[in-house]
Amino acid sequence: MLAGLAWRNIWRQPQRTVLSLMSISLSGAITVFVLSMQLGTYAIMKQNVLRLLDGYAQLQPLHYASDPGLRKTIAHPRKVMAQLRSIPGVTAAAPRASSYVILASGSRSYGAEVLGVEPAREIHVSSLSGTMIEGRFLNSHDTNAAVVGAGLARNLKLKLGSKLTLLGSARDGSIAADVLVVRGVFSTGSPQVDRQIIEIPLSRFQSDFVMGERVNTIALVGRNLSTINANIPALQRLAHKDRLVVRDWTKLEPALHDVILLDMSFSVLLYASLIIVVTFIILNTLLMSILERTREFGTLLALGMRPAQIGSMIWFELLLLAGAGMLIGVILGSAATYIFVKHGIAFGGAEALFRQWHMPSTLYPELSLMTALAGPLAISLAISIAGIIPYLRIRRLTPLSAMRST
Amino acid sequence: MDPIVACQNITRHYRQGIIDVPAVQGVDLNIMKGEFASLAGPSGSGKTTLLNIIGGLDRPSGGTVAIDGEEISQLGANKLADLRLRKIGFVFQAYNLIPVLSAAENVQFVLQLMGISKSERRRRAQDVLSQVGLSGLEDRRPARLSGGQQQRVAVARALASRPAIVLADEPTANLDSHAAEGLISLMKDLNRSSGITFLMATHDPRVIAHTSRHIVITDGRIASDEKRHNSPE
Repeated sequence: MLAGLAWRNIWRQPQRTVLSLMSISLSGAITVFVLSMQLGTYAIMKQNVLRLLDGYAQLQPLHYASDPGLRKTIAHPRKVMAQLRSIPGVTAAAPRASSYVILASGSRSYGAEVLGVEPAREIHVSSLSGTMIEGRFLNSHDTNAAVVGAGLARNLKLKLGSKLTLLGSARDGSIAADVLVVRGVFSTGSPQVDRQIIEIPLSRFQSDFVMGERVNTIALVGRNLSTINANIPALQRLAHKDRLVVRDWTKLEPALHDVILLDMSFSVLLYASLIIVVTFIILNTLLMSILERTREFGTLLALGMRPAQIGSMIWFELLLLAGAGMLIGVILGSAATYIFVKHGIAFGGAEALFRQWHMPSTLYPELSLMTALAGPLAISLAISIAGIIPYLRIRRLTPLSAMRST
Repeated sequence: MDPIVACQNITRHYRQGIIDVPAVQGVDLNIMKGEFASLAGPSGSGKTTLLNIIGGLDRPSGGTVAIDGEEISQLGANKLADLRLRKIGFVFQAYNLIPVLSAAENVQFVLQLMGISKSERRRRAQDVLSQVGLSGLEDRRPARLSGGQQQRVAVARALASRPAIVLADEPTANLDSHAAEGLISLMKDLNRSSGITFLMATHDPRVIAHTSRHIVITDGRIASDEKRHNSPE
């Protein structure tokens, strides 16, 4: 009967209850949408940045990240690649070698990072092949072919078919030199990548830099980032056997990771403020309702109800209100978010800003159980915890003082 | 026979600033089973205070109170609540029904607090509502009942737990004369037919005229205690 009584008590003042429900459900719905939008944006940022070159994780030699060099290599990449097939979640892997070189064409020369890649594998790991604006990406028949970033092509005045001289230090300390032919120009939208990167066939790289079979890194991807993240421990066990390390996305793109963390920290403050404001609104409403009903509580106490039972009844009223508000909030928020999951939100005019993070100007929220429940649940939980205040207030009531209250 | 209510040397003082106001001073009072008693006196005489002390709603400053043989002056809040629930029925001047519950649910509410099964609750609620003449109005909420009907529901609620005594504080004060007469007859009938003990704090001469014992309290002391054997029908 306590539950039934609590439910009826809630509806004594329907207007007030509807307003309270709206406060809880609308704030809940807002958190569903904003959190989904936020996580959706992060996912797009991570996806686009990581898929361009890094992959979702990389296997690297020990200390390679802090001091990259041709002497730090994966000696038997074929064996490691074969072992990677046993790791669940890994859908593609691409071996790479890289070095910093001087590129020259005509009278111009620029520093660049040359990447040796296996085209057939690379296209499954990196989206760079999809950003060609001239010519084509490398293929497995290429020998002396190269694809260069648009910025680099502009600086060196390169066109399709242009010859390009590469000069660097080979692994054994000798001079690495080669003449390559430009077969394609890519434009990723990232000025840094477009100005600095040149890709050539891995076999050519290994020959130019006296690498033998060796590579520097193996980049890998999965169905999505979270499947790879979930399998980092398995990758670490595999890497450990070959004295390699696994670098997850947070280490491959620390700047992106920091930006997301910073944004998340500010958002948590905003969410907390919203939750506190809503909690105080509901608490205020509840305290008003308690004040109005103090005489009645006196009667209940006189009839033999214990103060704790009345306190529990009030808490139950709050739980019902918070629960109903949460449910409506989840439904409203999820429905609104779902519309944008399907159609996206276009930010016309902000293309340049978004391009910095390899993002499209249309963003899609990411609706999941977590994004649908976290905000409304936090609001309901905060309101339920705040219910301790009226509960304690009621516990102090005595029948006479309550019945005499006006 | 042991009394249902046994008060010995009850005192009750209130503090008003630095002044100590005596509301009840050295009252000895026994109410026996089956009595139909009124407690009268001018405003501020201490009758309501005494009724509250007997009902376990207030604590005496001194003396002892026993209800149905159980000393209550030193009981904790929860034990006192249990005692009120099981041994005392209250009828208030302003009815004090729970507005969101129907007549039957108001009656059943107390029974549920006692842990009585649903079927038994329903049966008892129907019985007492029929006893107070409210058959057919069980599903009405208080707002849809007249003052007299609401006070009858309050009486039914007080009776449902089969208490040792029903304490009524000015039960007819908010009723018109017709409803008041009906309520007095009802309580008198219940007293006669079921032997339920009533103690009523009242000014109402109509109530006083029907009681078999009339206690007058003045300045916190019992001024007279008159037992009558031929109260009007």
